[in-house]
Order: sequence, then structure tokens, then C-alpha cells
Amino acid sequence: MIALKNIFKWYNVGGNRNFILKDINLDIQQGEFISIMGPSGSGKSTLLNIIGMLDEASEGTYIFQDQEVFRLKEKQRSQLYKDYIGFVFQAYHLIDELTVYENIETPLIYKDMKSSERKAIVADILDRFGIVGKKDLFPNQLSGGQQQLVGIARALASKPKLILADEPTGNLNSKQGEEIMELFKQLNKEDGITIIQVTHSEKNAAYGSRIINLLDGRIDTNTTL
Amino acid sequence: MLKNYLTIALRNLGRNKIYAFINIAGLGIGLACSMLIMLYVKDEVSYDRFHDNVKNIYRVVRQERDKSGKKTGNDPNTGYFQGPKFAANVPGIKSFVRIQSGSRDVKRADEITSSELLYVDSSFFSIFSFPLEYGNKLNCLKDPYSVVLSEEEAKKQFGTANAVGKIMQIKEDDGFKPYTVTAVVKKTPENSSIQFNMLLPLKVAAEQEQNPENWFNIFLNTFVVLQPNANLTAVQKGMQRFYEQDSKNAVKILTEKYGPMNNKTIYQLQSYADMHLSTDFPAQNGLTNASKPLYSYILSGIVLFILLIACINFVNLTIARALRRTKEIGIRKVIGSERKQLIFQFLGETFLLSLLAFLLAILLVQLVTPVFNNLSNKALSLSYLLDVKLISGYVLLFLLTGFLAGIYPALILSGYKPVDTLYNRFIPGGKNYIQRLLVVVQFALASFLIIATFTLYSQFNFLTHEKLGYDDNNLVMVNKQSLSKDEAKLFKTELMKNPSITGFSPKNGGQWGTVAKTSSDSTMQFSYETVDESYVPLLKIKLQQGRNFSKFYPSDADNSVLVNEAFVKKARWKNPLEQKLNFWYDNNKKYTVIGVVKDYHFQSLGQEISPQLFTMKDNGFGVAFIKIKAGKETASLDFIQKTFKRLFPLNPYSYTFKNEENLKNYEAEAKWKQIMLYSAVLTIFISCIGLFGLSVLTAEKRIKEIGIRKVLGASVNHVVTILSVDFIRLVAISLVIAVPLAWLAANKWLQNYPYRINLGWEIFVSAGLLVILIALFTVSFQAVKAAIANPVKSLRTE
Ligand SMILES: Nc1ncnc2c1ncn2[C@@H]1O[C@H](COP(=O)(O)OP(=O)(O)O)[C@@H](O)[C@H]1O
Ligand SMILES: [Mg+2]
Repeated sequence: MIALKNIFKWYNVGGNRNFILKDINLDIQQGEFISIMGPSGSGKSTLLNIIGMLDEASEGTYIFQDQEVFRLKEKQRSQLYKDYIGFVFQAYHLIDELTVYENIETPLIYKDMKSSERKAIVADILDRFGIVGKKDLFPNQLSGGQQQLVGIARALASKPKLILADEPTGNLNSKQGEEIMELFKQLNKEDGITIIQVTHSEKNAAYGSRIINLLDGRIDTNTTL
Repeated sequence: MLKNYLTIALRNLGRNKIYAFINIAGLGIGLACSMLIMLYVKDEVSYDRFHDNVKNIYRVVRQERDKSGKKTGNDPNTGYFQGPKFAANVPGIKSFVRIQSGSRDVKRADEITSSELLYVDSSFFSIFSFPLEYGNKLNCLKDPYSVVLSEEEAKKQFGTANAVGKIMQIKEDDGFKPYTVTAVVKKTPENSSIQFNMLLPLKVAAEQEQNPENWFNIFLNTFVVLQPNANLTAVQKGMQRFYEQDSKNAVKILTEKYGPMNNKTIYQLQSYADMHLSTDFPAQNGLTNASKPLYSYILSGIVLFILLIACINFVNLTIARALRRTKEIGIRKVIGSERKQLIFQFLGETFLLSLLAFLLAILLVQLVTPVFNNLSNKALSLSYLLDVKLISGYVLLFLLTGFLAGIYPALILSGYKPVDTLYNRFIPGGKNYIQRLLVVVQFALASFLIIATFTLYSQFNFLTHEKLGYDDNNLVMVNKQSLSKDEAKLFKTELMKNPSITGFSPKNGGQWGTVAKTSSDSTMQFSYETVDESYVPLLKIKLQQGRNFSKFYPSDADNSVLVNEAFVKKARWKNPLEQKLNFWYDNNKKYTVIGVVKDYHFQSLGQEISPQLFTMKDNGFGVAFIKIKAGKETASLDFIQKTFKRLFPLNPYSYTFKNEENLKNYEAEAKWKQIMLYSAVLTIFISCIGLFGLSVLTAEKRIKEIGIRKVLGASVNHVVTILSVDFIRLVAISLVIAVPLAWLAANKWLQNYPYRINLGWEIFVSAGLLVILIALFTVSFQAVKAAIANPVKSLRTE
């Protein structure tokens, strides 16, 4: 599904290249559940964002579903992204001005889905996540765990094949964290969604099928569990 | 999608009430001003166009040229001859109407009032489209003793609009004659140059119709109607040819009488629709409301200023506030929004705000129309809006402001990269050069207007308070047509019986001017006043040399004159006393200068003091100047009126105070003063609410920094300074830009006045201080609030 070849990423700082990612080579198959680990500043988020097409590499090739991503036009890439990828963040990143319901609905709006169709999908997800009673609340009326649940629900609404999660449990206590991890595992097993998560916790990493360790912008270890 | 955007837009507005208020109020004011000016301009350009035949109506006007063919002057007026002679002899001219202004005394019961009116030819109603309420438009002016009234006048005279057939007593020669009302006219539209309450048939005596000199007696307006297919140039040529042929005899007679004529007259036609805004041939002499296109330009310019400033607020605040929306933008992109869709969303929000502002503007226009009408001398109303062109103009204005104010922020905001905004790596707007630039532009405009206003105020103050060179206080002027010497004497004796009345002097009515041959053998023009020996002392006019008229020199009454210094200068006399001069119309008689009065402002201060001459020769007086004691005004006026009614029962009584009449000279300035004041207040207000909004957002952005500084021990003063100094610096820069420009503009404007203030540094310093103070107050308000807030709170929220 994903093939990264010789990916470099650098920023120019005062005329010098400050390398964040160095010669990353990585293949990811459909249905994998991958945990990326590594010390702070090692380039985990950057790698995730490149995979998620929010960021571009400075050099290298990225093939997603047989398409060379960096060669695509903005429009095509955005289409690819909309069809396949969902994002989950450490800080949840819900839209404060919208209710739970509306937050989950928004990606569907961007997919130009009809109102009735949207209603059905959102209702379905709310039901599945057990948050029907919360649908008219605003994000600041929810606990962290609940917000992250909504964040995942939103990512799932557009039926992605790939979920990218950047420290999804970083702001949660361990019990809430576990619930999220269980949810990921279930999504991966039952729905066949590919998941790539960044985490600091060995325990959370163990939910996955493979652990990639980044160190100083390089893949240090790549262990299949 | 729309619903989603609308929801978010409305919730955003609800959560940011200050922001919403500032934007809506600012833009609303800007739009309201623009709407008013559009109304104004529409009114200006629609003048006189309501006549069905307006395309073919022209006014006969004259250009004077000297022998070398150089233009020496324009005169929009004509006399008895031009209308009938051109209509009868020049092909292409279908009909004509002459309009002469005048006033007649009207008697109702025992009361006599003086009524302004127009004398017109009987073709009046077939040429102009003034609808009649009652009567027949084809023959209502045929009978020489017919009178046509406006609806209002009919109600005033007879208590009913249907006055046809009723009789009015109108003064003719020495008595009152009955005139029959033949028609009543509906209210004339406000945008008409011809306004009247009463029309009388224009009567031309038989000997006048034969008198060839009437080619050169100029005192009325002549309009002609051209055949629809007539060629304008050909008609004008035809007029000129006919005039030159037909006036030969008159030229001969006049040359014999007064010497060779210096000027040549060129006849032209002015389109009636162009008359209202014409500066070459303005509407005058019975035609009213002459205006200048300049007014439209200046007003439009000011409004553009205001609208621009409001749009700048919009852009600036939207960008500043966007700092708080970067997260939303990032998220939207992450969950699938394209840039286009974000641009659409933000433009949509702008349009929503514009729409609210637009509604507010309509409300404001409704509210302030009376004030504006007063300022602009118009009777505009919102119902004027019901006009396709104007409505489309407003819609365009709305779309344009919405777009202008929205597109820049939309482009900026939608360009943010989610990786930057979602990971808190990004301080959007960094240095905010555009934002700063816009604040500078805004305050430069506001400062410019404030300085302009200050200048106008000072000049106005100067015009109305400058010493005139004579005493115009407690001086009542009472009009009495053809006041004879004996009547004046009687009036004076009777009035002086009252101790509250301290002086009396008769003078000719109106402004007279004539031409005389001075000893240097050249002719010169001057104002020509008929007074008696009491005039100079009564007005406390100072004598520069020689003596005043005196009863002890009987010859004064016949051949002595006083002149002013300007006269002496113009005549280039070294020793003015005993100089002899004779008037243009009377070659044989010599007048002797017996005294020179110091120059005083007998005209408006807007004019340079021109040559003036006084005689005591009995040309008939028209006004009585009466000096009364201060504090006794009511009683004195009462006494004057009673005395007048007793002595002159057949004359209408009216009076004015000289100093009030003098103030009327500056009505235009007074009006502009008000307009400038309003504009300046509005611009500075809108600029300041914008600045306030920015300061709120800046304080919000720097809340963490302020918290840290305070924890580290910064004082409130220090924090306030940190937050304010940036803005104040911008305002200072804008002053640096505005001051020289305003200085240039003010100087240029002041050149219009021969007597003017010195454009000193005080105006600029005080305007500058005012702007800085207002700005400082605006920003420090928010800065203080931020500075005294509890730092623990602000740090915890992060
Ligand atoms: N826009 C940027 N400019 C310069 N350096 C950046 C930028 N974005 C990220 N970095 C640097 O890249 C490095 C890796 O960042 P990141 O991928 O967020 O690390 P991680 O998620 O592993 O903590 C960090 O040292 C960070 O400072
Ligand atoms: Mg990270």
C-alpha cells in the first residue's frame, strides 16, 4: 500500500541543511498496524505527516496505492487523501465552534455527500462509539477521552483505508488510553483499516503488528511482532 | 455545506461580539455614507430631467469677447428680444419662453406682504412639464390679469388648493389691481431649477418691443425649444447671423450715445439638462439651486475615504482574528477541505457581515437623512431608492465591499499549512507588514481630514470674527421701496423720538455698480452707494482724509462724492481730494472727491475690498439703517414696525440685522465646516474602533507573554507601554505622512480667500496631539485591562 524510498527531509537553518529524516525506506502493506517510536524530536511526526500528505519530503519517492504522490497535482493528491486517509491527533483538534455531530459530519460535507447519506453515516458512527447522547455538545463540554473518541469517529466517518494517529493517547490517562487502543485494534482486525500510530508507550506499541524505531531521523529498528 | 459555513459563521460572530460589532458598525457607517452620497449624486445629475421635452430645451446664453476675439466673460442672461426674435427668424427653433424674476406686493384683508414670483410667457406650461392640479395649461397665462399659484401658495392665500377663479389684489403702479387665479400647480419636484409660488404673465410694453436697444438690455432667462431633428451648431450659427444683422441699428445708436462698444456678443445654446451643474453658465436670476460638480466630487472623495477605512478595519481585524482560527483552518484541511472551499467559506463570512452592515446602513440612512438634507440643501429620502439603477448601484457597492474586504484575508487564511498550524510551530502574520501598512493608511486619512477640519474651522472663525472696519452690531435694516428723501426724513424724526433708537441713515437698496471715467482717462468699475451725511458716522466708518458729506455744504447733495482707498488705488490718484470724475452714462457732469474713507469690508471677506463710491445725489433710497440700543431689541423692533406701518401702510414690512446678513455670506463655509466635521469624526471613530479591535486581538495573542513578564515582575505601566507603543508608533508615522499633504491641501484651499488665516504650526500640532491622544486612549484601554489581569489565569489556559 505504501512505499517510501530514500526519503529525506531537511529545513534550511541559516544556510545549513538541518536534516530531520535521513534516507527512510519503508514498505507498509494493507491491513498492518504499525507503531512508530523514538525519542522526542527524532522525526516521528514529520514522517507521519509525509505519509499523510500534509507535508512533502525534500527528496525521495513516495508511492501510495501505486501512485507517485509527489508527482501528483494538488487536486489529485487531495482526492487521494480524501478517499483513503484519516488523521487522529494528540490534541484532538476538533473544531470548537461545531458540535460533536457537526464535527463528525464535516469531512463528509467536503466529500460532497448528500445530506441524507451524511445523516445515516453520522448516526451510525455515533451509535457505534456510544456517543449518541453527546451529539449536541461542544468539544469543550467533553472530557479528553471523549474528545479523542470524537476525533477518531471523525477520522472514520469518511471510511478511510488508512488511519494516521500522532500520539493519540498522549493527553489521556491510562484507562482512557487503553480504550482507544482497543478501538484501534478492533478497527484494524474487523474493518481491515491500516493504522500507523506514533506512541511513546511500549504497552500501546504492543497493540500493533510492527514497531518502527526512529533515532535521529533514521530507522533504527524495524521489528515485526 | 452552506449550512455548515453559516452555522460556524454565526457562532463565530456570537463568540466574538466585539469583533462583529466593530466590523458591522464600521462597515455600516461606511456604507450608509456611500448610500447618501449616491443619493446626492443621483439627485444632482437628475436635475431638471423630469421635463418630457428636456432633450430639446436649451437656454440662450452669451459669451462676451473683446475686439481681439479673446473671451472676457460669460453671461447666462438675455433680454426681451432674444426669445421672440430668434424663434421667429432662426430655422430649427420651435418656441421660446422667457422667465424673469421679480417681487410684487400682495394685499390680503389689510395685510400687505411682498411675494417673490416669476414673470413668464404663456408658452411656459407647454414647454415645461409642471403638472397642474387645477386649471388649463394651454391658456392659463393668456390673460394679462391672470395669476398661477403653487398648491402651497393657494392654500396660504385662500385656505384651499382649488383657488381657480378667485381674485388676488396685486400691486400695480400706485394701487392694487385684481388678478384672477387661472391655475394651481402641483408641488414642483425638488430637483427642479425652476421653483415658484406665483407666476404672472410677462408683459412687454409696445414701445419696448420696438426699441432696438433691447438687444442689449439683459435681465432675464430665455429658453428655446429646438425641433427634434435640428442641428445644434447650425441653429447657433443662425442665431449669431441673425443677431449681427438685426442689432446693427442698435449698435449704431448706442455708439453714438456712449462711445464705441468694446465687446462682441456670441450667442450660444446651453442644454437645459446641463444647466444645474454648469460653472460657466450657472442657474441664476430666478433659476435656483445652482450647484457645482465639485461638490459631488468632494463628497464622493470623502465617502471613499470613509468606506476605505471601514474596509481596512475589516481586513485587519479579520486577519488578526484569524490567528485564532489557524487551528480550525488546519483541521479543515486535514479532514479534506480544499483551498477553494476555504476561500469560499471565508468570503461567505465576509459577505454575511457585509449583509448585516448593509442592513444597518439602510437603517442609518433612514435615520440621518434629515441631517444630511439639511447639510446638502436637498430633500432626499430613502424612497428615492426605488430606482433600478440606484438599487443595482447599491448591490454592486455591497458586493464590492464584501469582496474587497474579504478576498485578502481569505487568500491569506486559506494558504496556511496544516502541519504548521496544528503543531503550534507557526506564528501567523509574523511581522504583519500589511496590517501595519493599513493602520498607517487609515490614520493618515483620518489625520488628513482632522487637519482639514481644523483649517476650515479656523478660517471660518476668522471670516466671521475678523474686524470689518465698521460697526455692524445692533444695526437693523428695514426695506422700503423707493424711499424718498422726505420720507426718510419723516421716518427718522418719528423713530428718533424713541430713546432706544440712537441713529438712522437711509441708503440705496441692493448692490449697485457702475462705471466712471477717472481723470487718468480710463474707465473703471466700482460699487456705487447712495447715502446721506449720517451714513459714515452711523456705521463708524473711518475717514482716511478729507471730510464726510455735510449739511453745511449744499453742493454736496449734488456733485460731491466719497470714495474708499481701493478706489483711489485703482484710479492711481496721488492726491485724491478734489479729483474730478464723470460717470459713463453722463459725460457732461463732473463730480468732486471730497473725502476718502478707510477700506472696510462692505462685501463678504471672501472678496477683496473693491472700489466703492458714495454720493448723496437723490437716486432714491431703498433701505433704512437703524441703530438701536443693545438689550432693547424686542421693544425697538416693535416700535420700528409700528412706526413703519403707520407711515407707509401700503408697503410690506421686513427687516434684517446687518450682522446676521453678514454671516449669511459664509453659509457655504458653515455647511462645509459641518460636513468636514462629520467626516472627520466618522473617520477617526471608525479608525479607532479598528485600532481597538486590533489591540484586543494583539493583547489576546500576547497573553502568555504578558503573563510570563508579570510573573517575572513587570509593572503594569511597563506592560501597558509594551502593548501600546507599537500602535502609537504607527499612528505617529501616519501623521508624518498626513501633515505635509494636509498642509499642501489646506494652503491651496486658503488661496481662494483674499483674507485668510496664517497656516501656523498650531493647527498641525493640535491635530497631531488629538490623533495621538485618541489613539493612545483607544489602545491603552485594552492594554491596561491585559496588564492588570491575573497572570496565573492566562498561563494556565495554555
Ligand atoms: N518547520 C520546521 N522548521 C524547522 N525545524 C522543524 C520544523 N518542523 C519540525 N522541525 C524540527 O524537526 C524535528 C523533528 O520534529 P518532529 O517530527 O515533530 O519530532 P517528533 O514528532 O519525533 O517529536 C524537531 O527537532 C523539530 O524541531
Ligand atoms: Mg511529534
